[in-house]
Amino acid sequence: MRHLQSFRTVRAAVAGVALWAGAAGVAMAHHGWSWTEDGFFELEGVIRAVYVGNPHATLDVDVGGEIWRVELAPPSATIAAGFTEDTVEAGDEVTAIGNRSREDTERRMKAVRLVIGGQTYDVYPNRVPPA
Amino acid sequence: MELLATIEGLALVRALKTSFYAYPVVNAVHVLGIGALVTSVVLMDLRLLGAFGAISPHPFVRLLRRVALLGFGAAVATGMLMFAIRATDYAQMTVFLGKMMLIAVAGLNFLAVVRLERRDRTLTSPAGRLALVLSMLLWTGVVVLGRFVGFV
Repeated sequence: MRHLQSFRTVRAAVAGVALWAGAAGVAMAHHGWSWTEDGFFELEGVIRAVYVGNPHATLDVDVGGEIWRVELAPPSATIAAGFTEDTVEAGDEVTAIGNRSREDTERRMKAVRLVIGGQTYDVYPNRVPPA
Repeated sequence: MELLATIEGLALVRALKTSFYAYPVVNAVHVLGIGALVTSVVLMDLRLLGAFGAISPHPFVRLLRRVALLGFGAAVATGMLMFAIRATDYAQMTVFLGKMMLIAVAGLNFLAVVRLERRDRTLTSPAGRLALVLSMLLWTGVVVLGRFVGFV
């Protein structure tokens, strides 16, 4: 009986762990493009922060007082596109072209192209809008 | 924080920040460490809760505890490297801080298990069983929060 009892405890514990892990397996996004809308989106604003590093580069862009997080490519691809942390500084104006989050309330997009001071940086050259 | 900015500026950390090969390798070792840790923890806890009755508990637990500690060490070392790259940001991230808290609680729970073992080697008391179940929940919780850190 003692064994049966402990086996039940174990079964309950395993079920509990599985449930707990499963319940949280949602809302995964931001790597890849599944979290973005299909159509192109354009964002214009002022750069507040720039990060070019792993796992991917990001810009924080001020659009009329609201901060957007603009995700770029991984650092090697971003640097290969000619964009480094020394390319811009806080206060520069930027136009980011890419795909925004499907979540209406989320101020986040993934850029394929940046235009800064007349210079274009295609961080995802195979995803830019047709010319 | 001054200290966090200093960490971000270290030569090794700056190299890792834009590396093409090193970062995914560090990331992979982090995942391997966690895999070894959580697998060992769950097998150990289940054995002590009465599963796998054919296996002698003490050599099993001793072996797996070593693997778990090794995995934990690898996860901490690689985790610190990845934290260092963007230390200021991670230190302000609620999910990240939550993960660190959960690791601390899981660590305290481990100390409780070690303490309980002195009196009750197979942890059959209600307190012992509770600690074993908590151990599984806490460590899987750490993994789940860790996944969220990458996506916030």
